[in-house]
Amino acid sequence: MNEPLQLSEDQCDCLQEIVNVAMGQAGDSLARLLGVFVTLSVPKIGILSPADVRRLVGQGCVSATRQAFQDGRGKDGLRGEALIVFGDSSFRELADLLDYDEDMEGAAEHELLLDISNVLNGACLTGIADQLGEELFYSAPSILGEGKRVAATLEQDRLQWERALSVQINYRLENRSFHCDLLLLMPDSAISLLAGKLDQQLEDL
Amino acid sequence: MTELSEAALRDLVDRLDTGVFVLNRELEVLFWNNFMAANSGMPAIEIVGHRLTERFPELPERWLRKKVETVFVLRNRSFTAWEQRPYLLRFHHNRPVTGGVEHMYQNCTFSPCRNAEGEVETVVVTLQDVTDLAMAHRALELAKEQLAQSSRLDGLTGLFNRGYWEHCLAGEFKRSLRSGAPLALIIFDLDHFKVINDTFGHLAGDEVLRGVGERLRAILRETDIAGRYGGEEFGVIATDCEVAGACVLAERIRAGMEALSFAYEGQAIRVTVSLGIAGNDPAVDDYQKLIAGADDALYRSKREGRNRFTAYHSG
Repeated sequence: MNEPLQLSEDQCDCLQEIVNVAMGQAGDSLARLLGVFVTLSVPKIGILSPADVRRLVGQGCVSATRQAFQDGRGKDGLRGEALIVFGDSSFRELADLLDYDEDMEGAAEHELLLDISNVLNGACLTGIADQLGEELFYSAPSILGEGKRVAATLEQDRLQWERALSVQINYRLENRSFHCDLLLLMPDSAISLLAGKLDQQLEDL
Repeated sequence: MTELSEAALRDLVDRLDTGVFVLNRELEVLFWNNFMAANSGMPAIEIVGHRLTERFPELPERWLRKKVETVFVLRNRSFTAWEQRPYLLRFHHNRPVTGGVEHMYQNCTFSPCRNAEGEVETVVVTLQDVTDLAMAHRALELAKEQLAQSSRLDGLTGLFNRGYWEHCLAGEFKRSLRSGAPLALIIFDLDHFKVINDTFGHLAGDEVLRGVGERLRAILRETDIAGRYGGEEFGVIATDCEVAGACVLAERIRAGMEALSFAYEGQAIRVTVSLGIAGNDPAVDDYQKLIAGADDALYRSKREGRNRFTAYHSG
């Protein structure tokens, strides 16, 4: 493995700014979609190793979903997988926000998780991509697993990525609160590309 | 010609093996491709210009509105997957003969469609037939379930095998310790089984064991857990059952087996069983002791002339 890949302080600041803007937009979209006030904490940005991710996911994780994203460049482009790790099981009360009529059990609960993941991933990633002048395409989200099985899945999967860009987000909705961690797992080549993009942004300032 | 004409593009969309239709914000259908027409039986001419939910009133309208609204508001794709929502529109599957399914399984994608000004004006929905995938997945799940089952069962009698039965006993024992509910164990064994094997052969012996397993299942309550403990030895875990209740059950087993008669090559084979019973009195702190107690009682039944049951008394 190469030298541990790190973003410079300037790059981190720039990314933080971009993510702040993206999440602000995401929060706004969510509020419009759900019809409630949404407050977001300032997202925490970090670069994690697979071991860090497993540790994070292993801690009281209830469910996790994954969704692939990529730009138009193919293998060497900006691409990766967005993981959303849900930390508690308060989704039931979110169900009415997405107008689910059915009993929130089994499949319907999964579908709700997938819908929320899609909204969060889409809002956050599109926000970031827009600011970088990129366009991203998404696969359908899928359930990675629940409870201990998530950690086991990550353990078993031959992990193709070396670093994950982690964006930890706290959402507070009016009278409800839930938090989740959004992890952008990207191959080193994609993180390098992102770093290059950030440098461009910095130069433009 | 270097570019496809609009007519050719339209033809292309009609030839896709995927459903494609376009909705506006009011859920009115603006486009409906051939796949949709062929599978729904609703030609484009009858649905274009009408609300989708008007033509398909069984659609969950509130949910669908929100789904489509998401695409307009977030300008992002949205999805449904067969695992969670087997279908969006109930279509027949294309396996009328090989069958095994009631309907087509579908994966759907709702994508924003922008106009020249970049505004999202419509949503294009694609609907993929994933019935084969769903069937393969279901077959796999079924095979896994059967594999799990067969690793727990005794092949000859269909009762639980010793390993799984002991696993159940350990679990039930722990539960009874926690809850204080009574638990009784019955172990029984076929009398003079060796004689049956020696006289009629092993095939006949197997037939007898199978028959005993079958009769045992018929006698037991739903909450009793039966297993083949050894060659001709069987175990029954009677949950929520005092020793007195287990004695009643043991007598029913004894009488039930005595009444069995196996016709084998013109001859009748009869069997009797000897049983031992043990309950989880406070002195029993380990399920192995329960087995030892029942075994002890079983040998007492044997010594005292067979075809009877004995309850274990410590001391």
